[in-house]
Amino acid sequence: MASREAVRKSLQQVRPILSVDHNEARRRVLNLYRAWYRQIPYVVMDYDIPKNIEQCRAKLREQFLKNKNVTDIRVSDMLVIKGQMELKETVEIWKQKGHIMRYWKESEEPKPTDFLSKFIAGQN
Amino acid sequence: MALFLKTLSASLRNGLCNGNGAVRTSPMISKMLSTEATTTEEKRPTVRKPNAATRSALTDFGRYVAECLPKYVQKVQLTSGDELEVLICPEGVVPVMQFLKDHHNSQFANLTDIAGMDVPSRKYRFEIIYNILSLRYNSRIRVKTYTDELTPIDSCFEVFKAANWYEREIWDMYGVFFANHPDLRRILTDYGFEGHPQRRDFPLSGYVELRYDDEKKRVVCEPLELAQEFRKFDLSAPWEQFPNFKYANPATEHIDTSKPEEKK
Amino acid sequence: MLRTPLTRTLSLGAPSRVFAVVRTSASASTPAKAPEKIEVFVDDQSVFVDPGTTVLQAAAQIGVEIPRFCYHERLAVAGNCRMCLVEVEKSPKPVAACAMPVMKGWRIKTNSDMTRKAREGVMEFLLMNHPLDCPICDQGGECDLQDQAMAFGSDRSRFTDINYTGKRAVEDKDIGPLVKTIMTRCIHCTRCIRFASEIAGVDDFGTTGRGNDMQVGTYVEKMLLSELSGNIIDLCPVGALTNKPYSFVARPWEIRRIDSIDVLDAIGSNISVSTRTGEVLRILPRENEDINEEWLADKSRFACDGLKRQRLIAPMLRMPNGELQPVEWESVLIAVAKNLQKAGSSVAGIAGSLADVESMIALKDVLETLGSKAVATETKLPKQTLGKRSTYIMNTPIADIEESDFVLLIGTNPRYEAPLLNTRIRKGYVHNETDVALIGSQVDLSYKYDYIGDDASVINEVVSGRHPVSKRLSSAKKPVIIVGSDQLARPDGAAILSSLHSYANKLEKDGWKVFNVLQRNASQVGAMDIGYQPGAEEVLASKPKVLFLLGADGPSISRDNIPKDCFVIYQGHHGDAGAAIADAILPGAAYTEKQATYVNAEGRAQQTLVAVTPPGLAREDWKILRALSEVLGKPLKYDNLDEIRARIEKIAPHLTNYGKRDGSDTSKDKIEASGHIQSSKIDIKQKHLIDYFMTDPISRSSPTMAKCIAAVKKQEANPYK
Repeated sequence: MASREAVRKSLQQVRPILSVDHNEARRRVLNLYRAWYRQIPYVVMDYDIPKNIEQCRAKLREQFLKNKNVTDIRVSDMLVIKGQMELKETVEIWKQKGHIMRYWKESEEPKPTDFLSKFIAGQN
Repeated sequence: MALFLKTLSASLRNGLCNGNGAVRTSPMISKMLSTEATTTEEKRPTVRKPNAATRSALTDFGRYVAECLPKYVQKVQLTSGDELEVLICPEGVVPVMQFLKDHHNSQFANLTDIAGMDVPSRKYRFEIIYNILSLRYNSRIRVKTYTDELTPIDSCFEVFKAANWYEREIWDMYGVFFANHPDLRRILTDYGFEGHPQRRDFPLSGYVELRYDDEKKRVVCEPLELAQEFRKFDLSAPWEQFPNFKYANPATEHIDTSKPEEKK
Repeated sequence: MLRTPLTRTLSLGAPSRVFAVVRTSASASTPAKAPEKIEVFVDDQSVFVDPGTTVLQAAAQIGVEIPRFCYHERLAVAGNCRMCLVEVEKSPKPVAACAMPVMKGWRIKTNSDMTRKAREGVMEFLLMNHPLDCPICDQGGECDLQDQAMAFGSDRSRFTDINYTGKRAVEDKDIGPLVKTIMTRCIHCTRCIRFASEIAGVDDFGTTGRGNDMQVGTYVEKMLLSELSGNIIDLCPVGALTNKPYSFVARPWEIRRIDSIDVLDAIGSNISVSTRTGEVLRILPRENEDINEEWLADKSRFACDGLKRQRLIAPMLRMPNGELQPVEWESVLIAVAKNLQKAGSSVAGIAGSLADVESMIALKDVLETLGSKAVATETKLPKQTLGKRSTYIMNTPIADIEESDFVLLIGTNPRYEAPLLNTRIRKGYVHNETDVALIGSQVDLSYKYDYIGDDASVINEVVSGRHPVSKRLSSAKKPVIIVGSDQLARPDGAAILSSLHSYANKLEKDGWKVFNVLQRNASQVGAMDIGYQPGAEEVLASKPKVLFLLGADGPSISRDNIPKDCFVIYQGHHGDAGAAIADAILPGAAYTEKQATYVNAEGRAQQTLVAVTPPGLAREDWKILRALSEVLGKPLKYDNLDEIRARIEKIAPHLTNYGKRDGSDTSKDKIEASGHIQSSKIDIKQKHLIDYFMTDPISRSSPTMAKCIAAVKKQEANPYK
């Protein structure tokens, strides 16, 4: 009964956001990646950030790989839309230096993990 | 686009056919202009009693809309006594809005605002609520539809230009995607902000905090650390301890739109 | 359940009181065993009830709450507020639901027009003389009158006296530093009067005057000399009696309540802690039929302001000049670890009266990794009790004490050592014809008892059957013997224990347990359960090089009986006697600041929950010991609460069975008699109310408790008392 329910759910007709199949979704992701990749030298130049192009590209790769397990077409479309939005904000220099540097989370202190340092920091 | 115009014209034609008969027989919304206050004296001073004439006019109009657009209108109801709500399916946003804007007997030409609502327990957790105003007939009604995180809703920018920013706001606050929107981007949140703050599962305090870092000479973003206790008030009314003795008015009243059985 | 007329309460009432005490006892008493149930209809719903059930109780059986002010299920029925009026079909007048027993076939209408009109009328009369000061009233937001006026009152006023010339005004009474009175707000429900005379056993309250001139008060101005006075605050349905230390502090909707356990006596009353912005504001009782019903003793309720004073908020080390100086955690842990390593296995630990099971087990484990097994509690008991649970707990559950028909108290004053145990005995005395006998100092227990001397030799007589009390004990169906734990700390404590234990075992009938030891602090039973030795003497005699005090503040430990070169570590939450003699101080958490296990006197494990975070650099106690063990290089094998609880479960499985009482087989534990009971006076420490208020570090640093002592002294000095 439960399995039949699951099958019915997975076969549910849904309205696509942009892509109709996996290939198209994949193409959109790669396009977005390419667009970011090509834009990075200008971003480094425009925003005067203390990172070089390689570091930025590594960060870009990291950000994309964060969602590597996404299989749902609509979810990946949604992420592409948001990535596109973000790219536009960056390219148009609507963002500021701080917004770009936010990707690196430099000022965050790592949380203590072992008992003694947690105890001394007063964290549980 | 062409397809939707076709459906629209079909539905309008359909509606007008019915309307022709209805102009004479059923009271139209224009009737509201000439209604006189014939309510009985209300004893409770603080409780506003809905006007009976307004109610019946709105009820009839609601029925009329449901009759004209049977494909899209799922339910018609009155809330707080005299506020008409038309509940439609997500596919019907554009034709229904077009109908309500352009139909001679409604002329809701003004989109007052669009609101979002999040009820995480529902299958379609978001409700999109369009408040529209007819200056011609001095009437306001509400159109509601529903969606989830991933199903796009058609933008009604083509119908109401005012929808542009309202839909951007809903996209920003709830993460509902509007298809065919000309310029869908964030409107209220900061660049680089993650998440949709009006969702019920987004904490009131947020996830991150910003501060100016003197060393780095720029604003930095860090995980939230509350310096003082998060004040949460327990506002459940204490006088609800006698639930048996509550007399509340119904929140919504369903309007029956099923056609009466025709005699053969 | 209708109570039988309170003949005994009435007989106790001091005849010298000149004013009338409103005590309308229930008119109908339940006939003996009538199994026939009668059918009545509440709002057309049929319900079968026992004869003698009142209308209100019948309605409650099907979930219909009838509004009330004066009725309270634990007090006698008064029937004077008239709020519970309901319509009964064919009755010309509405009837008072709280006092009227149902008759067969009655049709009760709790929501008819007549009922609603009656309620509205009663509410109008009540509000006519009630001041409109809800915005400045402390009861606002949790006031029965407010709530019920919202639900049942008229929505418009007929009150036209805009100059307020007609409202009744009553002078406020001064009844002590705990309860604030604003008597103009009083609606004369008489709950406080009934509580004081029936449950607390002090006939101080009554009414004077009648009609519009009726006043509730003490007639002559005097303090309410009771250890349970705080409960009248909870009982008061309006803001006439409010919490004095809590006045104008907070509103009920802005505070958070956390369920917890009280540790200031050994009963383990269930409490709910009200907090706001990391501060404990007040403590209220939480209902638990097995322990505290819905009452709470004054010390447990009002000593919570002691949690903010005299706190240890930073680790400290004694400098070479003899001064304690605040330091960082790292340095204190390293200093302590160095001293521990230097001492080798010559270390000892002593757990104080407020220590929880988690920290005690962590201390035991730390000392074991160092090769020492010297862990002991502060309170002394005979060594033979170790591992024999029935010789140090109350074998009769607290709730069963009220069923007992004969109670023998030996060297204890339950009124001040465990006030809520005393209410149980008193309940049995009033409603169940329980007789009480006492060996020890002659004290006021709030009920009558047979005083049979204060010499220990009387115990010998009773045990050997020569005393008249022995006959009463053996003829009683459910006898109970309660021994104060202080008496077992006497040199002949073992003899007293063994003779009483074996004697009591002979009295056991049909599974009814007789022998009880009344502990005086919350940590003792838990400590004994996990294998702590009772009494610090032996541990101190072994001359340890390092002494670890886990909140041990008692008089048994001072610089005089500790070796000169001994390094003393104090871990606790208050800067009290123990911290003063320490070389290193590790600031711990009080009971409102940690999730911890406590075992009460009857052997019931319960846990406190975190209501606020520990102040300053203070940490949860078991975590301090866990961190110390890591600095020592031998980390304990638990990192979080679940793991330490699993460790506790391994040692004593019943300690993680929260809320359940684990009784023990009294017959299994045998204690060999060693020595004889010496003929000497049995003395108890808490004889008068003045001895009650300050017994532990928290209550000693509480300003409210200090005010109580001053007020009692003033009252004692009053020549007209």
